[in-house]
Amino acid sequence: MPRFHFHIEENGRLIPDEEGQDFLDGDQVRKEAIATGASIARDAFMTGSACRVVVDVREENAPFMKVSITLDVEEKA
Amino acid sequence: MSSDVIPAALVKRLRTTSAVTDEDIKAIHDLPISVREYPAERAIVRDGQKATECCLIIKGFCVRSKTTAEGRRQILSIHIPGEIPDLMSLHLHVMDHELSTLTPATLGFINHDTLRLLHRRQPNLADMFWRDTLIDAAMFREWIVNVGQRPAPARLAHVIVELRERLKVIGRIEGNSFEIPLTQEQIGEALGITAVHANRVIKQLRQDGIVAFHRGRVEVLDDDKLLELAGFDGRYLHLSPAL
Repeated sequence: MPRFHFHIEENGRLIPDEEGQDFLDGDQVRKEAIATGASIARDAFMTGSACRVVVDVREENAPFMKVSITLDVEEKA
Repeated sequence: MSSDVIPAALVKRLRTTSAVTDEDIKAIHDLPISVREYPAERAIVRDGQKATECCLIIKGFCVRSKTTAEGRRQILSIHIPGEIPDLMSLHLHVMDHELSTLTPATLGFINHDTLRLLHRRQPNLADMFWRDTLIDAAMFREWIVNVGQRPAPARLAHVIVELRERLKVIGRIEGNSFEIPLTQEQIGEALGITAVHANRVIKQLRQDGIVAFHRGRVEVLDDDKLLELAGFDGRYLHLSPAL
């Protein structure tokens, strides 16, 4: 299986993943991408450092999947 | 290996944390300890195993961990030379977690019967080892606060500062850098985040000029920033007999 790279964008600021990681199958990649997005988003939302987190997963250089998480708060009063 | 070298780090630590007497130190030096070499990432005692001896780390790093039914591993604690991470197995007979090596390690095994006899003969040492397991519990409380309440960069900062304080006691800090032989994946397992998130946190601490990781070592770039980020209060380590 080829290496997967998980590039992270927080409010559009890119943090590239040069090393990458090996996975047994696509399902594991998906789980890792969602868990990573959720845990980075939690920190970013709680500390107020960003309101949009994107995990852009690439298989070598080809796009493989993208997980986007956006904070949407509507003030009602 | 000479009998002085085997308990050297343990004796150093006890001299700092507890009111040890020369008689206690002599008794520790006289303990029959069987020394074995272990490779990296090898189980020493597994979850569910019945232990008959306790393991003193002479050289290398170990971790305690527990794995969920889904196969997710949580690292519970990181251990350094001079520590006996499975001391509780003297009274808790079946392991409820795993103790394994992180790096290649030299380990000294002390038979439970030997330890029991020592405790009866020298109640002062029994008290000291009891205190040791209580400090162990205090460290777990702090670990829970860390993974439960701090954002990931602060979690990593806290683990780094704590390890530095403990390595200081056994004289393993050279200048601004010291050993933290964890891979990205293991840092993730310790902090309760994915390896990719751990990678992102490591990069952020570097970009912010706080710490830099180089192959199992960490270099502190800005001590004030590191302490502030960690929100570290070392009382829970009880590093003197008065605490």
